Amino acid sequence: MSALSPPSLGGAVYDRGYRPYDGPRGGRSAAGWALWRLTLRRALGLRRSWRQKVLPWTLLGLVTIPAAVDLGVRYATRNTPLGQIDFEFLTFRDYVGVSTMLLLFVAVSAPDVICPDRHDRVLPLIFSRPLTGDDYVLAKVGGIFALVFGFSFLPQVLLYIGQMLVNEDGSLTFVGDHLDVLWKVPLSVGILALYYAVVSVAVASLTDRRIVGGLAFLGAIFIPSIVSAAVVGAANQGEGTIFGVLNLLNLPLMLRDVVFEGEIDIDRDAGLSGVAGAGWAALLLYVAIIAVGLVVLRYRYREARS
Amino acid sequence: MTAAPPAAAIPPPPLGPTASLLRTTALTHAYPDGTVALTDLAIEVPRGSVGLVGANGAGKTTLFRLMLGQMFPTSGTIEVVGRPVAEDPVGIRGRLGYMPEHDCLPNDQTAADLVATFGELAGLPAQAARQRASDVLDLVGLDEARFRPVGGFSTGMRQRAKLAQALVADPELVLLDEPTAGLDPVGREEMLDLVGRLGDFGISVLFATHLLDDVQRVCDHVVMIDAGHLVVAGPIDALVERTGVLRVEVGGRADAGEALVAALGERSVAAVAIDAHLIDIDTAGHGDDVLDTVRDLVADLGLRLYALSSRHHSLDELFVAEAQRP
Repeated sequence: MSALSPPSLGGAVYDRGYRPYDGPRGGRSAAGWALWRLTLRRALGLRRSWRQKVLPWTLLGLVTIPAAVDLGVRYATRNTPLGQIDFEFLTFRDYVGVSTMLLLFVAVSAPDVICPDRHDRVLPLIFSRPLTGDDYVLAKVGGIFALVFGFSFLPQVLLYIGQMLVNEDGSLTFVGDHLDVLWKVPLSVGILALYYAVVSVAVASLTDRRIVGGLAFLGAIFIPSIVSAAVVGAANQGEGTIFGVLNLLNLPLMLRDVVFEGEIDIDRDAGLSGVAGAGWAALLLYVAIIAVGLVVLRYRYREARS
Repeated sequence: MTAAPPAAAIPPPPLGPTASLLRTTALTHAYPDGTVALTDLAIEVPRGSVGLVGANGAGKTTLFRLMLGQMFPTSGTIEVVGRPVAEDPVGIRGRLGYMPEHDCLPNDQTAADLVATFGELAGLPAQAARQRASDVLDLVGLDEARFRPVGGFSTGMRQRAKLAQALVADPELVLLDEPTAGLDPVGREEMLDLVGRLGDFGISVLFATHLLDDVQRVCDHVVMIDAGHLVVAGPIDALVERTGVLRVEVGGRADAGEALVAALGERSVAAVAIDAHLIDIDTAGHGDDVLDTVRDLVADLGLRLYALSSRHHSLDELFVAEAQRP
């Protein structure tokens, strides 16, 4: 730093000039993590106006309400005759279904973290950094995955810890009776989060307009589900049909049931009652959808594959 | 016994800082649709400020993308700051800054967030990126506007923000693609001043433009390409050599120029009147004696001597001449 005028003349003007950077400098992984953090920050509305914060935080509140109600009832009735009734307001399995409420959040957030990069032509600038197209896809899908997983998993953690603390037979007994939940819930929630993240980001990558990306994602989920329901309704005379598996809204919940029950148990919703191998069909369709989504994403960001 | 020369004790300098800025060997790139953007390009330019000159579609942006490792050449090799791009394209990108020609800024971010973001994406820790963002925004003159959304910036401010994001990670080399495009004269002057200062900071510059005046002003080396072919490359001082023409501006009477041309003709010195006051004198075969002759004749004719200078080739003349050469 050099003084341009003598300090003795009642103040100095400094030319700060240019200071070279000689601190730590990460490579590709650091850049990828940075993009992941930036994706989270943007989706949560951090460092953005209050309007951008409303949806994510409202939805987080909404998906937590059932857990709070469950715990509140259990706590209020813990030393009363009502508390002796072994009621289940909401099971851990059911709570994975509550997370489908996050579909709206994903329909808004995924296009918001993808479309502006293409619309504002920021991609060439991003790929002038030590990042590849695959890093970009990983960071964006990973960001949405982390948010959906977190928003789905945290209420379950709250439910689990709360039920453990108010359990009349003691916390250790509760944990012992619910050990399977410790892997079934994260696995089910992970299946749901991966599905939402890959499909939403892949659909959003096909357009540079956020509104189109969001509507296209909802259409990609709902239209096959409605068609599937119509086919099932037309063919169903008390028996299920394999077309029930095309209900893409329920697909992650079918796999949830595979995880929790070892069989598909949502025949009331998807018309899969009595269909042999429906669990395998759901798993294959899930894997195929994830694979197609990743192929689309690799294609859309192929220009920066090196 | 002979003492070892002092130079022998000095270890060889590291490869990076002394290696050439850009070296290509038989570099050719064709796009999938068959368009050949670069053909057999062989250039080597030293570090410093280098102008990359060519008309629109000459292959400048393609060369930048090849330097950034965003695509690979059809044939030939390319080295940037001494490192082959094909071996480590991602690593190369970590040492470069890039300012694209087109608008590329997210409109809903503040300048501070935007520049810090690109600092983090270049691998800087978050806190360091924010500090660097503050510093470079100050450097490019956006310190007062750092917390305003980029969407509200004027064209000049957006160009400065683009330059700031290119500089935030302290690159070895910054690639500037038409940095003065769309700027008014004042903005252009300020941008050229900024680009001219980068060399003082130890940052090499590759400055792509079709404005030869800009290159002549801030660069010390130039590479000219046309339709994917190399036209000419070299130090600007060497390329813009003297033409052997002395230009003289005189006054004092209405026909001052013509009078001086006639007087020079009597002394067997060829001269041409450009207008009533401006003449070009062919100095070939006369050496510096012609300067004394002009001085004496101006005094004898009672004229006023306003200016006397050796004419140089301009880069425009050089580009046109070389591009038209078969």
